[in-house]
Amino acid sequence: MSTATHAHDTHGHDHAHAHDHHGPPAGFSRWMYTTNHKDIGTMYLWFSFAMFLMGGSMALLIRAELFQPGLQLVEPQFFNSLTTVHGLVMVFGAIMPAFVGFANWLVPMQIGAADMAFPRMNNWSFWLLIPAALLLVGSFFVPGGAAASGWTLYPPLIIQQGMSIDMTILAVHILGASSIMGSINIITTILNLRAPGMTLMKMPLFVWTWLITAYLLIAVMPVLAGAVTMLLTDRHFGTSFFNAAGGGDPTMFMHIFWFFGHPEVYIMILPAFGIVSQIIPAFARKPLFGYASMVYATSSIAILSFIVWGHHMFTVGMPAAGNLFFMYATMLIAVPTGVKIFNWIATMWKGSMTFETPMLFAVGFLCLFTIGGFSGLVLAITPVDITLHNTYYVVAHFHYVLVSGALFAIMAGIYFWLPKWTGHMYSEGLGKLHFWLSMIGFNVAFFPQHFLGLAGMPRRIPDYALQFTEWNQISTVGAFIFGFSQLLFLYIVISTIRGGAKAPDRTWEGADSLEWTHLPSPVPYHTFETAPVVK
Amino acid sequence: MKDAFKAVFWSFFGVRKKDEYEADTKRLTPQAVIAAGLICALAFVLVLFGIVKLVTR
Repeated sequence: MSTATHAHDTHGHDHAHAHDHHGPPAGFSRWMYTTNHKDIGTMYLWFSFAMFLMGGSMALLIRAELFQPGLQLVEPQFFNSLTTVHGLVMVFGAIMPAFVGFANWLVPMQIGAADMAFPRMNNWSFWLLIPAALLLVGSFFVPGGAAASGWTLYPPLIIQQGMSIDMTILAVHILGASSIMGSINIITTILNLRAPGMTLMKMPLFVWTWLITAYLLIAVMPVLAGAVTMLLTDRHFGTSFFNAAGGGDPTMFMHIFWFFGHPEVYIMILPAFGIVSQIIPAFARKPLFGYASMVYATSSIAILSFIVWGHHMFTVGMPAAGNLFFMYATMLIAVPTGVKIFNWIATMWKGSMTFETPMLFAVGFLCLFTIGGFSGLVLAITPVDITLHNTYYVVAHFHYVLVSGALFAIMAGIYFWLPKWTGHMYSEGLGKLHFWLSMIGFNVAFFPQHFLGLAGMPRRIPDYALQFTEWNQISTVGAFIFGFSQLLFLYIVISTIRGGAKAPDRTWEGADSLEWTHLPSPVPYHTFETAPVVK
Repeated sequence: MKDAFKAVFWSFFGVRKKDEYEADTKRLTPQAVIAAGLICALAFVLVLFGIVKLVTR
């Protein structure tokens, strides 16, 4: 892409040269005690990548076991632990921290702030992740093995298992506390530290989506904390919140869990919308079509996300009126989501498009997330869902939303901002190879799971009937292609950090947010000590 | 307040004209938008519930 040069605003980075003595301390203490938003963002991103590889290894073990019918590699109990911890690790350890990493790096730079509003709390919210991850992964090594009830932690199964459940509950508490602190930090930063002239409606869409996501997190994380605390007291302190024998109701857990769980889906996808909304205009060389509509649609999705949770529970036995209500509400949430898809397409329409790696991942996101959205609409229809519930169709649906949705957006964002962060260009050839291996591997792994689900193969079972063999084998081959191609991604990132062609300050000529127009590449350790003036 | 309801109505659909939106940013306060948003969300739930009642009657 072009190496457009431009005039720097002197307020921003030029101070950095005079402030070299304020650079980071060396060694471990730099990372342990850092309050710098860029350092903390980097740690979040590396942490999430480590968890992604860990959760991915569990997924590959699951797929290896499912390569053929019968039990080959793992015990059924361990298989159940794998599916459970894979889900928890990917949701809470990989996707969410990756987006917080992006927020740390980008929110202050995009609004012209020097750092986050509460830098020490920022450090604390990152370092809380480590004990939580150790508890989750360590639970594999305690008597009884890791939690095996599915990531939804449904009672009564969850009440009956060993101490790993307590470790999981504590891990969820810690992760929740970390998320709430991160959200408070992000909201306060956005509302209070914007540069002069940076009105709310001038903010890049990534900042907008994170502002709304942070409110969602603050609203629902305490709900999850309440739910798992009730599980804990049911297990150890003689309460019967979810125990029918004591007058409780296990269905209540499902309602509480999914009141958290559905907004959680949007917590994982709204920042992805934000990243894609930065990338598509940059490579189409046109402003984002319908900026205002995008802000309004994001707000609308956030509000509606609180009234659709029952669609996870159509087979529980709610009254027909309840099922109908959640079916209608779920179908209506597709309207603002559709508005976003159309806006991205309209942004590309008649643009001077080029397809560097970030754009490839963004377009991949657009195509595949739409498939995930449509299969979601299929599942929103109550009678259809009653047939497909707990089958591989559901597994295919949410992987299209969370892998080719959230994860592809994360990959797109990494390639997009890596030159700004490191000062080096990544290898475009290897980046494109990574994209195509991911794209092909992902679709080979997950598209056949629609067929398996429609044919009736249940999820979370280590064995299956013979007629499902071929599609399972194809799915496993795809999963291994996808999984191992992420090692190529690791190589690309490390080699870009270590060296490579010098990245221009405005790497992408169509990118126009403050980090591109006001800051050099690589960005100095301290930026915007004097706020820029935004016109 | 009427303008806030209008803006929230369009936000539920997810579409807004540029000049209308620019007018929104000038004339609306966050408090008015949040209040209108909560009332409209409640109204939306009640309307859906009414339709469900009608269908299941």
